[in-house]
Amino acid sequence: MAGLIQKTELMGEEIPWLSTLRKQGLEAYQKQGFPGAKTEAWKYTKPRALNADDYVVNTGKKQTDFPSKEKIEGKADVFEPLPEGYGIYFENGIFNPAASDLPQGVEVLPLIEAVMLRGEVKDRLGKLVDLERHPFAALNTYYLQEGVYIRIEKNVTLKKPLIIINHTAAGRENLFFNLRNLIVLEEGAAAGLIEYYHYSSEVKSRYFCNVVNEVFLEKNSALRHYKLQNEAFKAGHMALTIVEEKSGASYEGFCLQKGADIARNETRVLLTEEQARAEVNAAYVMNGWATLDTTTDIEHLAPCTFSEQLVKGVVGGDAKGVFQGKIRIAPHAVKTEGRQLHKALLLSDTAEIDAKPELEIFADDVKCSHGAASGELDEEQLFYMQSRGIGREEAKHLLIEAYLNDVISKIRDENIRRWITSYAHSSAGE
Amino acid sequence: MNKTPLLEIEDLHARVCDKEIIKGFSLTINEGEVHAIMGPNGAGKSTLSYVLCGKPGYEVTAGSIRFRGKNLLSMSPEERAREGVFLCMQYPVEIPGVPTATFLKHAVNAIRQHHCLPELDTMEFLKMVREEGKKLGIDAEMIKRPVNVGFSGGEKKRLETLQMSILKPALSILDEADSGLDIDALKIVAEGVNALRDGRRSMLVITHYQRLLNYIIPDFVHVFAEGHIVKSGDKNLALELEEKGYAEFVREK
Ligand SMILES: Nc1ncnc2c1ncn2[C@@H]1O[C@H](COP(=O)(O)OP(=O)(O)OP(=O)(O)O)[C@@H](O)[C@H]1O
Ligand SMILES: [Mg+2]
Repeated sequence: MAGLIQKTELMGEEIPWLSTLRKQGLEAYQKQGFPGAKTEAWKYTKPRALNADDYVVNTGKKQTDFPSKEKIEGKADVFEPLPEGYGIYFENGIFNPAASDLPQGVEVLPLIEAVMLRGEVKDRLGKLVDLERHPFAALNTYYLQEGVYIRIEKNVTLKKPLIIINHTAAGRENLFFNLRNLIVLEEGAAAGLIEYYHYSSEVKSRYFCNVVNEVFLEKNSALRHYKLQNEAFKAGHMALTIVEEKSGASYEGFCLQKGADIARNETRVLLTEEQARAEVNAAYVMNGWATLDTTTDIEHLAPCTFSEQLVKGVVGGDAKGVFQGKIRIAPHAVKTEGRQLHKALLLSDTAEIDAKPELEIFADDVKCSHGAASGELDEEQLFYMQSRGIGREEAKHLLIEAYLNDVISKIRDENIRRWITSYAHSSAGE
Repeated sequence: MNKTPLLEIEDLHARVCDKEIIKGFSLTINEGEVHAIMGPNGAGKSTLSYVLCGKPGYEVTAGSIRFRGKNLLSMSPEERAREGVFLCMQYPVEIPGVPTATFLKHAVNAIRQHHCLPELDTMEFLKMVREEGKKLGIDAEMIKRPVNVGFSGGEKKRLETLQMSILKPALSILDEADSGLDIDALKIVAEGVNALRDGRRSMLVITHYQRLLNYIIPDFVHVFAEGHIVKSGDKNLALELEEKGYAEFVREK
């Protein structure tokens, strides 16, 4: 009976500030407890299934052999080739040293090495996470070890994206692993980052992947962040990305969730200085009994900041889609714009959608809007296509593709767009 | 002359929303024939066309429809289309987000596949659409737009005609293909339809105006009132109707 809190040996125990941080994580988690039905933030998404007591916390001791770069990328080429980029690999949540060569101006280190070698890590790590509000981030902090530190130097523009791939392989045990990434774009830097979670088809066990990304965007830097959550069908996936933006910085986020049994992808953006902007778009495509949750929390903390969110979902079977979107505008954040739109397509009578938009506006002279809509496939449109010889299932596919297209087309990079599209469509409407 | 029946409708009764609309309708269309159906508003002409295409919600309560001898009523809408039934709709449906070209390509290839023909690749397909589109005044720009979205009434009818020209159905049902068309567009659409007349393909032309029948000359004209055919004749019947209206066929209310 081990549960989610287990005694483990982690690297870096001898570093006092790291030990303290881990301890804070443990205490914050214990204080909150596992989120239950009474926890407001977890009212719609009930992660009960993740509170199992047969997990084996993977800290790397058991991970001795790692697949090669070629093997990982070969496996990742399911529908469309993986976009070209600089690979950073994890196997069952453990850093795989098979990383790609990197160009000048970018540093990628396993997080624990960065903790030891890079003084600035201490000033950043854990600074954006409110442990008391995020039980899974608190857990992640308790187990803090695996992950990467990415730093893009001042005024460097990366031509190809960095691609973090976590591959979960077959095993007899139910693994629980925590990934923690610290990403810093220095002034004027620009980069693309892909996060890709996938699994080998032999995976039959349950597993729980718990991710926290802390992203610091310095003045005028720009990050394009794409995520594909394609976990195994019995997996749990919890992810929190927190982005802090300085003046003129821009964050462009897109997340497609299509795997896992229970998942939340939460994005919190802090627009702390003028002219900071964020686009947080997402799509989810689901069937079976899954619950997939997209949660956003955009804080406009300075005047003239801008945010935009478009989230679209396609829900079939007995699945449940959850969207919680918050826009907060601080009293002095005048001339700010925040927009949010959530739309969902229900493919069956038993599919469910829970959407909770929240606006907290304390400033005057702002432009803010939110909207939500859910609907079903249009029978007239289906019949029109069928009457031209197109099979009903194919017609549904075309309508679903069209439905998702406007959010996917927000991805500016063509290769990445094509890659994400192939995943979105592969699972739509089955 | 040896005639092969293409469509045989016998004593058809059909209802929509529990309301009986088609009441004892019988008609046989042989290969190569063009039949026109005229009749007052609300007679059930569009209903008949939907029943022929298998639109959900249109329930056949009695009678039979055979297409090339096969029971049409047991086929799904897409099977009917693949077998060669095409409805040029009175009110074409808008499909936001689906480019017209994508839609057409799926339709063409679904039908080709049914006839064991190789699928057309994008190049071949575009070439065909360009050629057929040109005749109908449809440019490449239009087929990039989503299906029927923002198309004018006339453009929608032209797109319907384009679909007919590329799908080459054995039976084309035109439900008021002339409504909303100006004189020039009417000629263009009629030419598109006539181009398909090869002595084997058949047409069922539903219209309110004799004018269309000057361009698409029918072999038979039927008056459809109160759910069935009340009179049949040749193309001159259309002229007669133009003059006298439907008064003699409609019960006093
Ligand atoms: N979904 C429906 N529910 C109820 N009544 C319907 C429905 N569809 C059609 N009807 C009725 O069926 C009758 C026949 O309609 P239909 O559209 O077939 O007429 P039509 O002959 O095509 O008329 P028009 O010349 O105006 O096009 C009308 O009285 C119409 O109101
Ligand atoms: Mg009608």
